[in-house]
Amino acid sequence: MKRATETQAIFFTGRHYLVLFMLLGFLLALIGRAFYLQIVEKEFLADQGVQRQIRTIETPAYRGAILDRFGSPLAISTPVDSVWVNPSEILANLAALKTVTKKLDLDYSATVSHLKEKADKEFVYLKRQLKPEIAASVADGVGGVYLQREYNRYYPAGEVVSHLVGFTDIDDQGQEGLELVYEGWLEAQPGSRRVIRNRKGAVVEELAQVKPSHSGKDVYTSIDMRLQYIAYRSLARAIQYHGAKSGSAVLLDARNGEVLAMVNQPSYNPNQRKTMSASQQRNRALTDVFEPGSAIKPFTLAAAIDRGNYHRKSLVDTAPGWFMVSGYPVKDVRNYGKLDLASILRKSSNVGASRIALSMEPAELWQSLSDYGFGEPTGVSFPAESAGYFRHHSQWQPLDHASMGFGYGLSVTITQLARAYAVIANQGRELEISLVKKQPEEIEQNQIARHVMKSSTAEMIIAMMEEVVGPKGTAAEAAIIGYRVAGKTGTAKKSVAGGYDEDDYVSVFAGIAPASNPRLVMAVMIDEPSQNGYYGGTVAAPVFREVMSNALRILDIAPDDLSTLQAHLSPKGKGV
Amino acid sequence: MTRNYWLALLLTFVLGSALTVIYVKHESRILFSELRTVQKQQDQAVIQWSRLQLQNSTLATHSNIEMQARKTLEMRLPDTVQLVQLP
Repeated sequence: MKRATETQAIFFTGRHYLVLFMLLGFLLALIGRAFYLQIVEKEFLADQGVQRQIRTIETPAYRGAILDRFGSPLAISTPVDSVWVNPSEILANLAALKTVTKKLDLDYSATVSHLKEKADKEFVYLKRQLKPEIAASVADGVGGVYLQREYNRYYPAGEVVSHLVGFTDIDDQGQEGLELVYEGWLEAQPGSRRVIRNRKGAVVEELAQVKPSHSGKDVYTSIDMRLQYIAYRSLARAIQYHGAKSGSAVLLDARNGEVLAMVNQPSYNPNQRKTMSASQQRNRALTDVFEPGSAIKPFTLAAAIDRGNYHRKSLVDTAPGWFMVSGYPVKDVRNYGKLDLASILRKSSNVGASRIALSMEPAELWQSLSDYGFGEPTGVSFPAESAGYFRHHSQWQPLDHASMGFGYGLSVTITQLARAYAVIANQGRELEISLVKKQPEEIEQNQIARHVMKSSTAEMIIAMMEEVVGPKGTAAEAAIIGYRVAGKTGTAKKSVAGGYDEDDYVSVFAGIAPASNPRLVMAVMIDEPSQNGYYGGTVAAPVFREVMSNALRILDIAPDDLSTLQAHLSPKGKGV
Repeated sequence: MTRNYWLALLLTFVLGSALTVIYVKHESRILFSELRTVQKQQDQAVIQWSRLQLQNSTLATHSNIEMQARKTLEMRLPDTVQLVQLP
């Protein structure tokens, strides 16, 4: 028994050691493995873990909208999704790829060969800029197919306001117009954050925000879309009717210099940019200059009246209807004889305006016209804005001095012209033009702005310009029933190399309404009208009347000429 | 003896804190998934809002309104003769 126990014990001891040895072996193996994983391969493995679980994903941000003064969108970003794949992942699952290509309307075999070419890449677009719900239905539950959020820019107002708003490129960067001017303000800055994803790719935890995302801010322009549309339509109609090459119109709020409408022809649709040409893209109202012709006469008169050279009752002798300046004749249509200042404007006498210009020193005339804004940028900050062409008086020839009086020898943009008329409308105070809605304090500043023209002079000029729009004036077609309108036409021959073209004209009209308490200023320019007349009074003035009469109605500005309105009222209306 | 009490007390604290960590972690996961859901809803709302805004401005183009007013509703501006001046 004892022996048996001994042998058993010996036998047991042998097994005991065997087990012990094996356990120790396992333990060592485990420690070795742990050492290998934790120390030797640690970096590689941790790296792999991070790669599989932790992702830096982009937080989308959208570009600010451009709005009209009441908040209706002129340019707006809407989210779209782009579908992308990891080629090696999706090529392992061809059945899924087949359904995806079918849903996306892509050619299956072409896609497969395209992906095989790029098999070493990890990111290949299948299709860009899809509606989010379509993209979601494609990518839903399919491994290896991913979505990327992008933003597409839409311009709901299309060609009506395209010159002003401009456009962005495919990467959402402003290229033209306000999109470019306010790039820093509108721009979106997508952020990024580090997240942990589970096996299915869903985000389960956010680790850190690497970069916060900033969406762009909105820009409120000063444009009133109702007026912008009417101006666009009227201008387009006139351009077509007169077979003109191009044209522009600017409508300003006379009290604060805000641009309510700014339109150009020809135009383009920023939503379909493939067909557009450079000539369609120009915001001519700010970039193109022309000689204003007679439209400058009110300012020649104002400068002379301000200096006391002339007063309300002064007479200017224009006989015999022409005179010579350094070998060139300054001519009127016929001999008007002695004219008072109002008649010089009403009949648009070149001789009269020229004599008035010559009554001042070149420096005086130059100073006044500069003060009214000719030759100066309007301050709207717009790409490629022209400051016009207005030489310093030290470079003037005698002929320049004489012709400056009736608008030859200097070039202006239509916006500069509108701004100068706004000075008259604003009681002679200079005015900052703005394409964005002004703040109340900016408007207050306008009320105390410098006088560049005496307010008595401005009043006198308005009264004279009312006669221009009267039945005997050159712009009877600018008259609006019920309102007193002041304005001036201009019909300028186009300058070509070495002289003036006898057949090509620029037709201009600029006006102020209501004349008793100016609220709106509008300037219209039509370039090379080829049919149905070419005078400013017959081509540009009707556009002014159509837009201005609608603007006065839409902005609810009370009629200030009740007597003519009453004469037109229904008999029933008069007695009430 | 006192030492054992301290040990037991600290052990309880450690256990308690460990359980709290688990609980808070769980809570944060739940809240995070809620946040994700809400963010997705917000995203959807933004998408819908911008689409509605677009649709609105497309339907309310001034040329469209003018056409509808003139053709469908046969509206027009009254002539001055048709105006009545109220005192």
